[in-house]
Amino acid sequence: MPSSFPSTRRVIPHEEYFPTPRGPLLPTGWLAVLAHDLRELARFAPVIANLVHQDLRVRYQRSVLGFFWTLLNPILMMTTMTLVFANLLGRDGDWRNYAIYLFAGQVPWGLLAGSLSDCALSIIANEALIRKIYVPKLVFPISRVLFHVVNFALSLTALFLLLVPLGARPSWSLLMLPICVALLAAFSLGLGILIAVLNTFYRDLGHLVGVTLQAWYFMTPILYEASRFRTSPWFLALNPAYPFIRPFQVILRDGQWPDPCVVGVSAVLAISSLGIGYAVYKGLEHKLVFRL
Amino acid sequence: MPSTRASSTSWSSGSDQTSASAPPIVLDDVSLRFVSYRDKQYSFKRAALDLLLRRDGTPPAAEFWALRHINLRIESGERVGIIGHNGAGKSTLLRLIARIYPPTEGSVMIRGTVAPLIEMGAGFNPELSGADNILLNGALLGVSRRAMKARLAEIWEFTELGEFADLPLKYYSSGMYMRLAFAVATSVDPEILLIDESLGVGDEAFKSRAKERIRRLLDRSRVVVIVSHDLNALRELCTRGIRLERGRVVADGPIGPLIDQYLADAHRTAG
Repeated sequence: MPSSFPSTRRVIPHEEYFPTPRGPLLPTGWLAVLAHDLRELARFAPVIANLVHQDLRVRYQRSVLGFFWTLLNPILMMTTMTLVFANLLGRDGDWRNYAIYLFAGQVPWGLLAGSLSDCALSIIANEALIRKIYVPKLVFPISRVLFHVVNFALSLTALFLLLVPLGARPSWSLLMLPICVALLAAFSLGLGILIAVLNTFYRDLGHLVGVTLQAWYFMTPILYEASRFRTSPWFLALNPAYPFIRPFQVILRDGQWPDPCVVGVSAVLAISSLGIGYAVYKGLEHKLVFRL
Repeated sequence: MPSTRASSTSWSSGSDQTSASAPPIVLDDVSLRFVSYRDKQYSFKRAALDLLLRRDGTPPAAEFWALRHINLRIESGERVGIIGHNGAGKSTLLRLIARIYPPTEGSVMIRGTVAPLIEMGAGFNPELSGADNILLNGALLGVSRRAMKARLAEIWEFTELGEFADLPLKYYSSGMYMRLAFAVATSVDPEILLIDESLGVGDEAFKSRAKERIRRLLDRSRVVVIVSHDLNALRELCTRGIRLERGRVVADGPIGPLIDQYLADAHRTAG
């Protein structure tokens, strides 16, 4: 008989049916499954925290400039792009304004693109772990997205401060930023889960992600402004990234409140993305380990 | 145990009647099938072609039932040794209980925290320092960061690796790596302990201390399931034996007679 159970024993009380018995496929059945998964994720929160922590650690350890690379990278990138495109697109030659616009679109795009390309490999790369110990596989895409959210927050703040001499001014509309970030992160997570799961079944997908992101980037008004099109092209109307990027540009450059319609559209997109990602994950969850 | 868990959901209500008497491990008519695809990377091209040509997908190259109709109840306080020839499904059964493999048919019910000592160093990251790896590994085994920090000193003392705490794991020798993995894995307080053939590690001096540590871990655990070919160790450690053959349970009972029978059968087939 056990002599003493130290306090940690009650950290994770759990009991599991495996596989999770299917409730009737009513909305309530799905809700129960979702609630079960959320409880499980809450239990694995320390694992997620540790994974994010270790990613940040590995990324910056033993490079002399450490964290400053997060800043230097976009600064160098944006300087180059400002030099080239401010001249090329040359509207009134106001390069200061253009630099801020570029920054306002580039940084959130970095969150989206970074999350998606990292998520694609997140489950495959952790094969060794998944085969040795039980982990809900959602942990991996979630930790990748969180990692990018942290990076995003750090570089957004720092870059914003650096851009003050160029005319970046704080305004009350900055209060909307957390909501916009949350929506963008949710959208990225949903898509990320979808890609991570499908990529374990069809490895071709991983190769597609890079190319698609590249094309997507150019179809999104980040380098240029949407207003430069005489008539709005189809790829703008259908571009799901635009409603997420646009509010950042409005808030950070114009210092105005974003259009509630645009934010509403992005909220709908974020929720659908999460829903689709989760549904696909639930459908394939139990086959994942055999396909690694 | 705090009962903050929601108990209103219809499908889990059965499990919420857990009194202390409910067995921690229940396998109900469990089968597990492995399908090995000719090439694992079933590509988009193939999928699209299959769809266009109305083929029924690629026929799997081989189907293999690793476990067949397993019914098992393991009660609190039992120490179960699983024996059988190579490929009988012992490790697969252990992985099933650890929730790594989902059953193809049937249901598995596990009550309590599980510590799977299936492979040493699960989730170790070679880029991180030894100390960080301990915390990460602890999290995977369900121990909070703070609780794990409290155990750091004890782990360093046991492994005698304290001076390398801040060194990335990739610079550890394989012996040091094993020692650390062993110490972390055995520092938890599980309710259900699963051990796969990992009883002996390291040099002689370490081995005896490792044995002692394992014994203490066994004492702390409510249920223990061990897979091993070391029949003497099983006889010593276990109370109940389960013999697997080609994915089926062929014998289940007190460990002593079970092993005797197993040895007798082995001799008969050999001679």
